[in-house]
Amino acid sequence: MNLLRVENLHVEVDGKPILAGIDLAVEAGEVHAVMGPNGSGKSTLANVLAGRPGYDVTHGAMAVDGGDITPLSPEERSLRGLFLAFQYPIEIPGVSNMEFLKAAVDAHALGRGEEPPSAVDFVKRAREAASRLQLNPDFLKRGVNDGFSGGEKKRNEILQMLILEPRLAVLDETDSGLDIDALQVVADGINAYRGDGNAVVLVTHYQRLLNYVVPDHVHVLADGRIVHSGDRSLALELEERGYGWLGD
Amino acid sequence: MAGLATDAARLADALLARGPTSYAPWLDRGPHLEIIERRSLPELRAESWRHTNIARWYQSVMDGSGNVDQSRRLEFPDEVEVVDFADPRAAELLEQRGEEVYHLAAQPIAALNAVLLGAGLAIRAPAGVAPSNPVRIVDLPAAYQRVSVIVEADARLELIEEPAHYTHRLVEAVVRPGGRLVHRRLQAASSERECSLIAVRVEGDAHYELSQLSLGAELRRNDIIATLAGNGANVTLRAAWRLDEARHLDNQMAVHHVGPGGTSRQTYRGVADGRSRAVINGRIEIAPGAQQSDATLTTKNLLASDTAEVYAKPELEIYANDVKCSHGATVGAIDDDAVHYFRSRGIDELTARALFVRGFLREAIEDDDAARELGLIQ
Repeated sequence: MNLLRVENLHVEVDGKPILAGIDLAVEAGEVHAVMGPNGSGKSTLANVLAGRPGYDVTHGAMAVDGGDITPLSPEERSLRGLFLAFQYPIEIPGVSNMEFLKAAVDAHALGRGEEPPSAVDFVKRAREAASRLQLNPDFLKRGVNDGFSGGEKKRNEILQMLILEPRLAVLDETDSGLDIDALQVVADGINAYRGDGNAVVLVTHYQRLLNYVVPDHVHVLADGRIVHSGDRSLALELEERGYGWLGD
Repeated sequence: MAGLATDAARLADALLARGPTSYAPWLDRGPHLEIIERRSLPELRAESWRHTNIARWYQSVMDGSGNVDQSRRLEFPDEVEVVDFADPRAAELLEQRGEEVYHLAAQPIAALNAVLLGAGLAIRAPAGVAPSNPVRIVDLPAAYQRVSVIVEADARLELIEEPAHYTHRLVEAVVRPGGRLVHRRLQAASSERECSLIAVRVEGDAHYELSQLSLGAELRRNDIIATLAGNGANVTLRAAWRLDEARHLDNQMAVHHVGPGGTSRQTYRGVADGRSRAVINGRIEIAPGAQQSDATLTTKNLLASDTAEVYAKPELEIYANDVKCSHGATVGAIDDDAVHYFRSRGIDELTARALFVRGFLREAIEDDDAARELGLIQ
């Protein structure tokens, strides 16, 4: 059974077709990179997987571990093990990172029929994850993404991923806006999370993150379809030749 | 609307026929009766009552229909003098207060408080005291109540108003040079019609700090006036509210900088849900002599439903040239992107909205536990 299976997925936003028949199968233990020019539908794919309102599936289906997630709410998808690292993480002043993470961790524990972790255990776990991402512990007390730099926001997404331990992480342009040091830290976080029991879909415009997080499969999206799939060498070729030749 | 609402003239006639109460006979009610005799009570649709139907409150005054607490419950530390208005010593204690802390002509409703007064407390924190416990007012046994506070030089006092029932409550305070009054007020959800006035005079280098947490009522109107009278006075006003169903809250805040070098901060945050109506008027007034005043006011409002109403108006009136002033008012909806962000982490929609609201209100909440206990936040 595929960890993620997307079949003939058509998606409209405001009545405008964006995805025009996506097929994608991801196995546990794999890293897939989804690349493509601006406007090709990469972020739409990431958002529709996470169940963002306003992204209407007109055809096709999405399944995680064989279960159809298309009718599920965003929170139900999260509890099924799906995680989206946002391209533009939302700022929420007044709610601390710690409260936000605790609410998420508690919801996941309750979803599994378990007791939520104690405050002490939770704080310990959050601090460990923060230190892995070279974030000061004070970072956890600050408002969610409130006044964070671009790099801090992206690291915060990876922090949430490390704490929630999803089955499938979809990272939407997590590499954009990162300097080379931050890119390395984020990549280390992703590599620490990678394992036989989970999978990663990296949505990215550039191949530089793929130097650090080496994908098993690379897909190129154009006009809402996957027009080319290959291994890592495809990403290198795209880096060299751009996207133009794919249409030839 | 016949039978449901009373106009100012009818109420004045009724009050004059009835005469003032015999409670606290030492209280000079002359100027108050004059307001009523001259028919100076605000009429329906008076500018400052545009969004609150005062006739409905007048009706409660006429009927005496308000739910009234029967007991007098309060706690206070030993260092603080507390005298009931029924005791003539209250008059002596208040004599030291000096001029009135508010202009009756600008607050004509306060005349009804004096004429109908049934419970009053004079509270004095002697110079230099710093009690570790607050004065806590739980209940006062009358529909018209007055709390008069003097914080003497360099004294500190914390005053807590627990949720209570009244038709009108007046809290007046003088904070002498170097003194500090921390005032916390809790207003629970209520099916009553309630008005209140807080009037405070803050003298040189003294501090006044208000934290008001409110749920709405059938009709609730809070007038709050803080005057920075002395050099370097400091005023912080915070108010947070969350209204649902058809509840109503009208906050009219005014900060007057009279002495130079004063600092004031006004922070208001409110959420209106259901068919509720929130009114927030925040005003900064800088008098000609109040140079080097530093005043800010922000009010942010969330409309949590399509049927709730918010009327937010900041006002600035500046008559001095060397001042720092800023104000801003916003009204917006709950951020759907933020709610989605929470949900994408497994948090259900109701919890997501509650977390968002809590975060939004928090800037104006000083004590999370009190806010939670009141039911303002989860």
